Amino acid sequence: MRSWAVALWIGLWAGALAAPVELKVNLRVGEAPLEWGRVYQTPMGQRYRIDLLKFYISELALVRPDGKEVRVEGLALAEFRRGGPTQGVSVMRFEAPPGEYRGLRFDVGVPRELNHLDAATQELPLGVNSGMYWAWNPGYIFYRLEGTAFLGGKEEKWVVHMGTDAFRIPVRLHDLQMRRVRLEVPPRGTSLVLNLDVGRAFLPGPNGAFLDWQQPRLRQLHGMSPETAMVMAVVYYHMLSAFSLAR
Amino acid sequence: MRVGRWLLVLVPLVLLGLERPPVLPHAPAPDPRALVPRVVPIPPDNPQTPAKVELGRRLFYDPRLSLDGKVACASCHRPEFAFSDGGNPVSVGVFGREGTRNAPTLTNVAFRRRLFWEGRSPRLELQAVGPLTAHHEMGMEPEALARRLSSIPEYARAFQEVFGEPPSLKNVAFALAAFERTLLSYNSPFDRFVAGDDRALSPAALRGMELFFSERGDCFHCHVGPEFTDDEPRNTGLYTVYPDVGLARITGRDEDVGKFKTPTLRNVALTAPYMHDGSKKTLREVMEHYNRGGEPNLNADPLIRPLGLSESEVDDLVAFLESLTDAQFISNPALLPSR
Repeated sequence: MRSWAVALWIGLWAGALAAPVELKVNLRVGEAPLEWGRVYQTPMGQRYRIDLLKFYISELALVRPDGKEVRVEGLALAEFRRGGPTQGVSVMRFEAPPGEYRGLRFDVGVPRELNHLDAATQELPLGVNSGMYWAWNPGYIFYRLEGTAFLGGKEEKWVVHMGTDAFRIPVRLHDLQMRRVRLEVPPRGTSLVLNLDVGRAFLPGPNGAFLDWQQPRLRQLHGMSPETAMVMAVVYYHMLSAFSLAR
Repeated sequence: MRVGRWLLVLVPLVLLGLERPPVLPHAPAPDPRALVPRVVPIPPDNPQTPAKVELGRRLFYDPRLSLDGKVACASCHRPEFAFSDGGNPVSVGVFGREGTRNAPTLTNVAFRRRLFWEGRSPRLELQAVGPLTAHHEMGMEPEALARRLSSIPEYARAFQEVFGEPPSLKNVAFALAAFERTLLSYNSPFDRFVAGDDRALSPAALRGMELFFSERGDCFHCHVGPEFTDDEPRNTGLYTVYPDVGLARITGRDEDVGKFKTPTLRNVALTAPYMHDGSKKTLREVMEHYNRGGEPNLNADPLIRPLGLSESEVDDLVAFLESLTDAQFISNPALLPSR
């Protein structure tokens, strides 16, 4: 009888300590849900279609009202392909203590200590079978966005492969100061839903530089290459604010 | 001074010779692999087996590994050109998409410490992922490649036998790496000369060899050792402004602009055109570039300077480079497509 009570007590405590949380993502272009196959237009007037998006989420943490963090181990690879869902897509599951939070933070990328291990020895979501390993540039592509540009009567493929340690994207969706963000994790668990505006990659930068697919060299945007670094920096700058919490 | 120069020539040759089994002059040409004294480094997680090498060979020559079904590894690494791209400055991948760099030879690639022109891939198993997935090379996604190979019964069976699991990008890369480690070439006239055949090299090639290993010709500082490379990245003053920034593409550092890995010179006469972009059509053009001291470039290696070689000396150097050709390597049935 006594052991029964102890087990029940432990069970109740465990439930209180860990509620299931699912992180979901909505893909947006501006305010509207992304539609595969639809032709969009950049602010600079170039027409494009999105064909593929994959990115890593790591270093996730929920932020308590006192500023302390509940850190989540591990990383996830979010994948969006033509024909697949774009709204409410589950990208990560974890457990967190029930309670009130002032938001969350995570990185789009792979932590340095994992990014430079031998990819041939790593398993999914890392490793060579992930489709994110960067063979000529040891490490992983953190954010892989690919599509088609419509230039006059011509279709041109373009890629944005953001990676290398310098281009890990810190996403900070918490607010302790103004208290505008409030997340509740009830004991039964919850879903946290993020919006990702993929169209922000195509906004011009403060310096006027933008992803101009008329220039063939900008159709292949890779890592830190000085040939394209200015535009990659612009994309990175806009990616910092591409995620938001869905209301 | 003369003695000093010969020491510079002889010391590396003696060191090379020490590693090699004796071969009688004028003996019938042995199997090239018999001349290979070096132990091929095999990574513990990818042990070499005959079945894996055979699978790697089949994959190497199979265009079904590419998105449009038209591009094999061997499309750009053709055996008759010492596994380089035979006259093409840059290679053409799926759907006619053109690359930006010259496909390097795979001669003795098992010994490369660094791979790709920037030299930033540490092993063959990882390097192979690059061309298999690159948009302008073979353009395959891991899932699509696995699906396609799994649908081919002989591959499904072979992967099960070799790896105990279905085809995957990783296993494809491992099998290709196993095959690539058999691309060994040590039966050139130069190798035979080092092994004791005094008549293996022509007089011009002998003079060229002396220049090659001298401070005047100054080739051997970078094209060093039995592999004729130290695998280090260098700016050779090919351009004043490099359209392709080389190593800086990865490091982002100004001082790395224009740096590319020093290539091996084995079978170099078969691998034209030259340089990372295939911009030099002949060995003579390359020699003339180095003899001039290259173009002005702040990052140029300090060894790049006008050499002051005469026309006939340039010819001699070319003759020596031609003596690094291993005719058996390109006709070895074990390295060609299986029948």
